[in-house]
Amino acid sequence: MNDICLRIHGLNVSYDGHTALKNIYLDIPHRQITAIIGPSGCGKTTLLRSINRLIDLTDGAKIRGEIWLDGHNVMSDREDVTSIRKRIGLISQKPSPLPMSIYDNVAYGPRIHGMRDRKELDKTVRSCLETAGLWTEVKDRLQSPATRLSVGQQQRLCLARSLAVRPEVLLCDEPTSALDPVSSQNIENRLIELKKDYTIVIVTHNIHQAMRLADYVVHLYLGELVEHGPASEVFQRPKQDRTRAYINGTVLTKPRTDVEINLKGKVCPLNFVFAKAALENLEIGQVLKVIVDYPTAITEVPRAMEYDGHKVLGVKQLNETDWEVIIQKRE
Amino acid sequence: MISKRRLADLVSTRLMLAATALVGVTVLFIAVMLFLKARPILATNSLGDLFLSSSWRPSRGEFGLFPFIMGTLWVTVLAGIIALPVSILGALYITEYAPPRVRAVAKPVVDVLAGIPPVVYGVWGLVALSIGGIAIGFNVLSGSIVLAIMVIPVILGVSEEVFRMVPQDVKEASLAVGATKWETARNVVIRSSLPGLAAATILGFSRAFGETMAVLMVVGNIARVPSSPLDPAYPLTALIANNYGEMMSIPLYDSAILLAALVLLLVVLFFNIAARLVLIKVQQKWA
Repeated sequence: MNDICLRIHGLNVSYDGHTALKNIYLDIPHRQITAIIGPSGCGKTTLLRSINRLIDLTDGAKIRGEIWLDGHNVMSDREDVTSIRKRIGLISQKPSPLPMSIYDNVAYGPRIHGMRDRKELDKTVRSCLETAGLWTEVKDRLQSPATRLSVGQQQRLCLARSLAVRPEVLLCDEPTSALDPVSSQNIENRLIELKKDYTIVIVTHNIHQAMRLADYVVHLYLGELVEHGPASEVFQRPKQDRTRAYINGTVLTKPRTDVEINLKGKVCPLNFVFAKAALENLEIGQVLKVIVDYPTAITEVPRAMEYDGHKVLGVKQLNETDWEVIIQKRE
Repeated sequence: MISKRRLADLVSTRLMLAATALVGVTVLFIAVMLFLKARPILATNSLGDLFLSSSWRPSRGEFGLFPFIMGTLWVTVLAGIIALPVSILGALYITEYAPPRVRAVAKPVVDVLAGIPPVVYGVWGLVALSIGGIAIGFNVLSGSIVLAIMVIPVILGVSEEVFRMVPQDVKEASLAVGATKWETARNVVIRSSLPGLAAATILGFSRAFGETMAVLMVVGNIARVPSSPLDPAYPLTALIANNYGEMMSIPLYDSAILLAALVLLLVVLFFNIAARLVLIKVQQKWA
């Protein structure tokens, strides 16, 4: 049983009588990335919040069942909830820096758990910021307020803060949904690196992200566990119709590209102008693929196209410098 | 030709400017008027005699305001010391700890407290604190307790709003690394609320400085500098309320009273400005 990190046994959660999770039995593998997928309101976040007991904060939540983390039942009233949460870190959807300096954000957890020695704290802060890929960007301004960082940097800071208490499990609740494509990519790369030392559970709406990251996949639908298994099996040969429908619904409708334009070497705002001109010539519903390499364009082109009422179907990194943006023409 | 809509826009802008200006001018107008009326006494008595002397003998032309200024400071500061921790801890309990049912009851109760007229507090203080009940007597402590009870709803109410503004995400971030509820309250909730708490405190103190009726009834009204909370005091507000319009036959008496009013205005203004400077510092640090 060494390869199982968390064992969820008969978990039921309801809010004021509305069932959010029904009889969940699930083993989460050790040091792998487990992705929880499913439509909005299916109980993904409830499951995640049950694992670190943040669900206790929700008024009217009723919880039955057990979640085992090597010999400890997380759900038991006898367990000290603070030591459970120390072992199970959380990265939330919206980056949430604490109202203090960058240094203090990372040192917050260790200090609470009794680390006082300045040298030891310095070392922990540095190594966690390095692991989160933030050290070089902030090493000269550790004392400035964390809220001055960009959103993407804040999310990596939150990662560093979670790592600082040396958890075993890292829960990620749609950790990239508030971020631009470059920052999302950055976080995804960190998670892939981290899985050699941590068990990672990620909730995601983005099936492509699940495909890129997951070793193990859990599909929830309306509070029920529909299917779970190794990613290769679930994605390629889903056993359940509902899983197949969910995966197909979000993946296979990806339409072929009608026109492709290459805007490499074009700076903003030239690349908007070209992208717009190309869309002019398309029929509604047709798809344009744009290749860009100008850093601002990666976030701004999709934003501008959505602003114009078109639908951005995807943004993907192709290599070191190049990104593709896929846009479907709307009215 | 200007369209009707543009005209309405123009007129409303000017109207709002006028309304704002009116408020600002009123403060200036009051200050100038008080100064003009206080001028006769400023002309005859030196500033040192007026503000630093403790002798208040109007019939002999001695108008030392020092005991009254100290009376005001004693009562207000002690009230603040009593009211601040109670308000902040109470607000913290209501927002962070109380089960929904307690919260539902506590909020209206606090609002009712804020709405009770000062004179009712005064009578209650008189009966409960000064003579009957606890029988502390007529002194600074009685005045401060009554005053504290009056400003607690103000500070508590505002603090509660401020605490509620702290995003749930940030609190959860603290809990998620294994902090206890109290550690989270102290390090996250109070910390990110500091500017708001400062504002709540200014509001409370501004009310405390100016509050007259309730304090006047329990504080003793003896023109001597208090040296302990158990000494009687005579705050500026009580001096003005008790004496203006009485004994006006004594020369310069009315001028002295209006000077007291001017001093009160300046003290409140000073506290407001100082507090605002602190606020700006705090905000700069955490913005």
